[in-house]
Amino acid sequence: MLRAAVTSGADAVYCGLRDETNARNFPGLNFSPEELADAVEWAHGHGARVLVAINTFARAGHVEAWRAAVDTAVAAGADAIIAADIGVLSYLRDSHPGQRVHLSVQAAAGSPEAIAFYADAYGVRRVVLPRVLSAPEIATLTSSVPVEIEAFVFGGLCVMAEGRCALSSYATGRSPNLSGVCSPPEAVTFERSSSALTPRLAGLAIDRFAPGEPAGYPTLCKGRFETAGETAYLFEEPVSLNAMGLLKALRDAGVRAVKVEGRQRGKAYVSRVASAFRDAIDALDRGETLDGYERRLSDLAEGGRETAGAYRKRWR
Amino acid sequence: MRRPAGRTDGHRKGAAPRPPRRSALAGPLDAVLGATLRRVARENPAAFDRLGAYRDAAFLIIPNGAPVAFRLEPAGRQGRVTVVQPDDRQPVAACVRGPLVDLIALFAGVYDADAAFFARRIEVDGDTSAIMALHNALEAADLGVGDLIGAPRHFRPRLNASLAALLTLARARTALGA
Repeated sequence: MLRAAVTSGADAVYCGLRDETNARNFPGLNFSPEELADAVEWAHGHGARVLVAINTFARAGHVEAWRAAVDTAVAAGADAIIAADIGVLSYLRDSHPGQRVHLSVQAAAGSPEAIAFYADAYGVRRVVLPRVLSAPEIATLTSSVPVEIEAFVFGGLCVMAEGRCALSSYATGRSPNLSGVCSPPEAVTFERSSSALTPRLAGLAIDRFAPGEPAGYPTLCKGRFETAGETAYLFEEPVSLNAMGLLKALRDAGVRAVKVEGRQRGKAYVSRVASAFRDAIDALDRGETLDGYERRLSDLAEGGRETAGAYRKRWR
Repeated sequence: MRRPAGRTDGHRKGAAPRPPRRSALAGPLDAVLGATLRRVARENPAAFDRLGAYRDAAFLIIPNGAPVAFRLEPAGRQGRVTVVQPDDRQPVAACVRGPLVDLIALFAGVYDADAAFFARRIEVDGDTSAIMALHNALEAADLGVGDLIGAPRHFRPRLNASLAALLTLARARTALGA
């Protein structure tokens, strides 16, 4: 998939090692140390950068895996390491002072003061913004921080305070922030009848889809529940972020890089999304509008629906 | 809640096995598809290692409306594919069902599995972890249709691109007709 992203126009690809140190710790996914080194060499040969996500939170008393992941990524020649935990950031600063470091969205640094702290204390060079800011707020923030800003523009949304979700661990004992996996697949089952598809997480029914109704990920945050006699999505609807229409606003706001979520998805997704955003960014550079690009990815969206999320903040 | 590594629970637990009914073509088809699986595994050993605990698991692939289904057993690179009845009762780790063209497109990396799930084009039963491991292993193998049919290696990139375009077109026509 790294190759698919690069050949489709991505300037950089983020990835992880095959363990709990990154937030996509799913069966069969991610790189072994040898594969990572090969991938970095291949990407560099094709003019692309590799950013290694070591962005889960190290567990007290068990930090060796996170330190080993940092050492492995540095040895592999990673162009940057994406981290959130101040223990991991501290180890990076002290043990690998020359290594470029990006602050993960998991750190939820969304104010100039928070960003300045990470830049001063740990030498962070780029911050991936939490997905809770509007485009004007990003413009204000970007002009007052000493680091590069990266913003998500496509893919899954996470409505909880970034880095602190306990829904998955409540149901399954494993969490995205500590174990690197939200709704671990071994806890997911699908119950089918002639009238509905019912996804369950550790036995808890989290939705019931009518025949032909678009489905979402089997996560509690996307669950549809009955409260006070009404059935509704309580936390978040199954819908994907698509901020392609805001690319110009984000660029004008000083955003240095845009990011696509979906490391757990396949090369069909990666190729199409990378290619669409490459084309859109190139079109912007030529001074063209993005009217012809915005609907190219609709069929990839969770629940069959897209949103500009907090970037437009229509609920305010 | 968690399943032991490699356990092959039946997706139709409790059903008694029954003798399989097989057509005359089933044997040769088993041989061809099994050889394809073993060749793909030989060419992509690291990708198949990604199956991890599921390397000895069995998977049932059921094309909608087809008279047959395919029992796929990676078996640690000694892979086997067996043509079975769609209602085959042998235990498997997981079962995936959908239109044939979608299933081929998924194997060839032309169709996104999550998008297929969102659109309700495919159905998955059994151990979700096993099917996810299989999906990620296939993605890591970076297969195209040319790889599946065993085309000469130097022809594969161009052939894969051409056949991917055809497959996308065929899939779109099928989806429109759904």
